[in-house]
Amino acid sequence: MTLSHAYSHSRKPDRVIVLGSGGFLGRNLHRACAASGVAATGLASSDIDLSDASAGARLAKLLRPKDVLVFLAALTPDKGRDSATLMRNLAVARAVCEATRAVAIAQVVYASSDAVYSFDNALISEDTPAAPMDLYGAMHRTRELMLAAEAKSPLAVLRLTAVYGAGDTHNSYGPNRFLRQAVKDGRIPLFGNGEETRDHLYVDDAVNVILKVVSHGSTGLLNLATGTSATFRTTAEMVAARAGRAVEIAPSARQNPETHRHFDITNLLRAFPGTRLKSLDEGLAAMFVDMRAEASG
Amino acid sequence: MTSPVVGFAGMTHLGLVSASAVAARGFELVCFDPDRALIDRLAGQDMPVLEPGLNELIRGNGARQRFTSARGDLKACDVVYVAPDVPTDEEGSSDVSGLTALIRDVSAVMDPGAVMVVLSQVPPGYTRALGLWPLERLYYQVETLVFGQAVERALKPERTIVGCAEPAAPLEARFRTVLSAFGCPILPMRYESAELAKISINCCLVASVTVANTLAQVCEKIGADWGEIAPALKLDRRIGAYAYLAPGLGIAGGNLERDLATVQRLSESYGTEAGLIAAWRRNSRYRRDWPLRRLHERVLSRAKEPVIGILGVTYKENTHSIKNSPAVALITELMSCQLRVFDPAVRASTDWHPHMSVSENALACCDGADALVIMTPWPQFRSLKPSDIAARLRGRVVVDPFSMLDRAAAIAAGLEHIVLGAPLPVHAE
Repeated sequence: MTLSHAYSHSRKPDRVIVLGSGGFLGRNLHRACAASGVAATGLASSDIDLSDASAGARLAKLLRPKDVLVFLAALTPDKGRDSATLMRNLAVARAVCEATRAVAIAQVVYASSDAVYSFDNALISEDTPAAPMDLYGAMHRTRELMLAAEAKSPLAVLRLTAVYGAGDTHNSYGPNRFLRQAVKDGRIPLFGNGEETRDHLYVDDAVNVILKVVSHGSTGLLNLATGTSATFRTTAEMVAARAGRAVEIAPSARQNPETHRHFDITNLLRAFPGTRLKSLDEGLAAMFVDMRAEASG
Repeated sequence: MTSPVVGFAGMTHLGLVSASAVAARGFELVCFDPDRALIDRLAGQDMPVLEPGLNELIRGNGARQRFTSARGDLKACDVVYVAPDVPTDEEGSSDVSGLTALIRDVSAVMDPGAVMVVLSQVPPGYTRALGLWPLERLYYQVETLVFGQAVERALKPERTIVGCAEPAAPLEARFRTVLSAFGCPILPMRYESAELAKISINCCLVASVTVANTLAQVCEKIGADWGEIAPALKLDRRIGAYAYLAPGLGIAGGNLERDLATVQRLSESYGTEAGLIAAWRRNSRYRRDWPLRRLHERVLSRAKEPVIGILGVTYKENTHSIKNSPAVALITELMSCQLRVFDPAVRASTDWHPHMSVSENALACCDGADALVIMTPWPQFRSLKPSDIAARLRGRVVVDPFSMLDRAAAIAAGLEHIVLGAPLPVHAE
């Protein structure tokens, strides 16, 4: 299954509810809605604890039939990789299922993750079978299935590759961490020599595609990636070149098998022709511009 | 023994070409089809299919090859081939109901002592279960029709594969006379073996093409050129001079897809391992979108309201067929573009795309376009001069999967010439 559109031309939704608006992607999406004149309500964990047993009913009271719910809320691996984190994340999804069962809305957009895929296939498309390798991937896959089975609203599932940009609080291995390390320590440690390849998506591009999915009333499954992967070594070199100071890129003895990931984004091109996604180099350049703007107030 | 009279029932692509080849061997032919309008066209030398050499072949056969819509005319035949084209659906499943109905109709008028030969491709198990003609005089003959080369292959088959009820028994004498006229090895085998032999041939072809596609993509990434590698492989006796090693845009036309689907169904029914078949189909689907990916990289992600010229609509050269054509698929994927389309044999349907115009010739397709895509390797496209194309294009990008243009001339003309299996040119911003 790939993406299909309810509307061939984009149209403004009545209201977008951003579930997880306190997170990196949620903040950016909420801001982009405002900038493009789309009515949006952000719900962060400080507004509603979705893992609470009564959260489904509370969320249902906030929903209106013409709403679009963009479900971004999740405890990411840096908050925990154990089964307790898994169960809390599933409780959040149960609340969303309960709420959207009670109030049928215009669309649910679920931000899943490429963690649902194993590393057995170097080239990933929407046809690649989901085969999570860890609890985080299993959590996203389970949430996808819960929503497909129980959310009584048109559903789009977007499996995002790693997203980066200014203001990202996550510290996972990749552009954001490399940047902090380069600026603070002048040293970027690599696993092995950074041979592994990954696809990194600039946050504005992720937000733009999510908004297209919303404005077209799309349903189905879509991977969100650029289609071009780079090694961590290359990524580190690109970051170092922009750090404004001498940066040592430090290899280490490899502890784990080398893995690679590339995306076939043909279905993304097909769903949204003419979509322009920033290359890693362009994205890093934009990230530095944003960071300087934030730093200067 | 007098020379046997041969009948053919079903005058679509397979039957028409095969019957004409038998007539060319000196046999008297009765060519039957229940469609009277079709028979009138054939009698008037108006061929319903595009196949190089077919008109000349039928003209040369003269009175030996008689067309009729009267079923009873088959009563005079010693050997009757039943050979309608068998349609397939989008999943690759064959619909043999038309074939079975024709066999039933034909068997009702055939001489009871005549030989029936099923030539249409059928799924394994079909012939033995037919129950409409005595098994000792019922054969299944493997067809090896290749669109665009059908006449040459029908006149000079490499071998003839014959499915029989009992392969140890000698072939019926009149049937053997017909087959022997082609002077190639005759391989009798069980019906089921022959039915699977055709599928096996096609699986080997798909395997070769998939190897070429897989490695051609690696070539594009690492600066190698598959065009330099393939000739070396063909000189290896274990691979062979005629191996299918040209990279392409996935399998199309319907026949190979049907055979892969058949093997997958058989493996599911009998619990045999066939992961390879799924991989071939996945690779084929992926390769079909190669031009779309190249266009997106070079043009669609950069130009507003791009204009794209497309040369070729048919799934391959020298045919009218657009079944599973990558060109038609591409056209339907380019909804945000304006298209100009030209094909030497088929007029593109404006139903396919809301902003498409049909050009009167290949160069007119280039006028003001941001990119040109040569989707079908029609021989006449080889004579296009890159400098003429460059003069008429607005952009510089030519996506030429099959390398129809002179590569050096294309580069000299300033074109970004993008070819399957060759290093990708640097994009001029």
